[in-house]
Amino acid sequence: MEFLRSIGITEIVMQFMLINAILGLSMYLVLYTGMFSLANAGFMSIGAYTGVILTQNFDQPLWVGLLGGMAVAGVLAVPIGLPVLRLKDIYLAIATIGFGEVVRILILNFDTLAGSLTGESVRLTRGALGITGIPKITETWHLAAFLVVTGFIMIRLHRSRFGRAMAAVRQDEPAAANMGINVVYTKNMVFIMSAVLAAAAGVLKAHLTRTISPGDYGFDQAVSILAFAVLGGTSTWVGPLVGGFVLTALPEVLRDFKQYRGIVNGSILLLVIVYLPGGLVNPAGWSQLWTRLRGKKQGDTLTAEVS
Amino acid sequence: MKKLLSILMVFALLLPVTAAFGQDDMMEQPLVGFWEQCPTPENLPETVNVGAIFGLSEAVAVYGTAQQNAVQLAVDEINASHYLGESTTLVVMFEDSAGNRDQAIAAMTKLVEEDGVVAVLGPTLSSEAFAADPVAQENSTVVMGVSNTANGITEMGDYVFRDSLPEGAVIPGTIAQAAEILGLAKVGLFYGNDDDFTVSGYEVFKAALEENSIEILGEETFAKGDVDFNAQLTNLIAAEPDALVVSALAAEATQIILQARALGYEGPIIGGNGFNSPAVLRDSGADSEGLIVGGAWNYGNPNPSESSVQFVEMYEAAYEMSPDQFAAQAYTGAWLMATAIRCADSTDRTDVRDALAGIADFDSPLGVFSFDEDRNPVHDPIAQIVVEGKFQPLALVMGE
Repeated sequence: MEFLRSIGITEIVMQFMLINAILGLSMYLVLYTGMFSLANAGFMSIGAYTGVILTQNFDQPLWVGLLGGMAVAGVLAVPIGLPVLRLKDIYLAIATIGFGEVVRILILNFDTLAGSLTGESVRLTRGALGITGIPKITETWHLAAFLVVTGFIMIRLHRSRFGRAMAAVRQDEPAAANMGINVVYTKNMVFIMSAVLAAAAGVLKAHLTRTISPGDYGFDQAVSILAFAVLGGTSTWVGPLVGGFVLTALPEVLRDFKQYRGIVNGSILLLVIVYLPGGLVNPAGWSQLWTRLRGKKQGDTLTAEVS
Repeated sequence: MKKLLSILMVFALLLPVTAAFGQDDMMEQPLVGFWEQCPTPENLPETVNVGAIFGLSEAVAVYGTAQQNAVQLAVDEINASHYLGESTTLVVMFEDSAGNRDQAIAAMTKLVEEDGVVAVLGPTLSSEAFAADPVAQENSTVVMGVSNTANGITEMGDYVFRDSLPEGAVIPGTIAQAAEILGLAKVGLFYGNDDDFTVSGYEVFKAALEENSIEILGEETFAKGDVDFNAQLTNLIAAEPDALVVSALAAEATQIILQARALGYEGPIIGGNGFNSPAVLRDSGADSEGLIVGGAWNYGNPNPSESSVQFVEMYEAAYEMSPDQFAAQAYTGAWLMATAIRCADSTDRTDVRDALAGIADFDSPLGVFSFDEDRNPVHDPIAQIVVEGKFQPLALVMGE
């Protein structure tokens, strides 16, 4: 603990790391099933707003807010997923970016919209000003416990029939369908699970940062979540976890670099992308890098002998 | 590198000054500061650490860099004039928040809990302040916003201060003055509805217009990043308003002025803090004629205080550019913080808070400055109109 603090990872940074690890896992689920979805930021926003409205306007405890946020996001994921998941690759990405924008603009105008429908002045999402003064009630152990449970589910999932179906759908959809896997069901279930995880992270984070506004969950956030998974690597579920940790901790650890922080941060990420294209947690990638570095030396001696 | 150079340049500029006065054993007093009101402190340690959280990277760096420059300028001046005593040096630890809430919280936690600073200046954005200031409040550490204008900032606790006039303190005065002088009866209202700054500006404008019983002919909105405002402006102008009232950030403000003029609108345009920028005036050229802006401070203020003139001179000498309102407020913020430490004669966070809250009639570039009981700033805002490409006091120009 003392060591972590000395390099700039205070408790709050650790909490952000845990939250981003959860977000990384929510991204991992969809990527593992072969879906390039960028809807997670939108679901995070739905979760955060539902959770905060439950704890603030209805005086519910955090766990009710958490379950409420997860439930609303999970239910909304069904009508979104059914049509949208027919798309693939970049088209799915574009459609889900659109979903994120729709959520942002709906939350932005929710009060005006509800006000004009009901004829009364509504003050729920508070538009662009966002909700401020949310008490900080998320504790580190909440996050750690949530992550442990999620990790456990991930391990179980991989060994289950459904987990193998996910992998099959990623590798070859028609082949998976021929093998008797219900592709539509599998894809939608994964989309829902991913939405629920993102929503949970949203609720927990809202009760940590004390303030939320629609702009927090835009395209930037969607890309950040994608980056956690890609930097960590998606060959195992540990990858996005590590990706979330590293991408969150790095800017804080590098604070001593002052104005050069961005450059150092970017360089480190660039090195990882160039030399470990499969991500940080990818045994095959590390061994490839190893042979690449060692192979060069062998080649050198070989040419030396020949000459 | 550029920053390092500029800091070196400041030192280079100050060296001959200190050397010259060192010989005479006499120090030219800066115009700012409670030199008489509070005795030279005797109980301060050799270094006093103050934190500063500004957005020094990403888009917010436009404001954050000016703030950092201005604070550094003030600190160099404070140390060179031994404002905190012969052997005491004020050190500001700058942290970057990149306009990001998470980073602002992390930076505040680091400064307050790890580095043990006496007080903190910043963060740059109101949205960051709402997230990060409670950390300082919980640790009973003074945090002073130098650019937070949203409502409710100082309601976060008794350790939260700001020296930046909230929109609510600037706009009503501007509207009242404009209404009286120009005889406004009906206006069109135009604002960005997806940004906390422009929305809070809109709310204040609306309340002020209603208070002065000015009719709002129509309301139109735009989004951050929009470049075409013709549709909304056509609607507003078609209703033949006496003035266009606009709540926008600088980037959109310029385009709104240009496009309104291109549509043939010749009446006054009344803007909030977002228009109070040399860049808006420069980029909109002759079209800015008749633009009315309320602000806390302006470079072109024709009636500046002595300390304001000196601040502009020093800033231009050090950084080879003109200071904006953000720089003036950050510079004043650093002096206010140093004054609180001087008057408290202590680095105890609570003593500093009490001393800061007690500051009144402080002569600063912003004018004669006091804190009210809610730790908000009290000084005269300025309502100005652009005449021949320059800001002139509204009352002066129109009163003739």
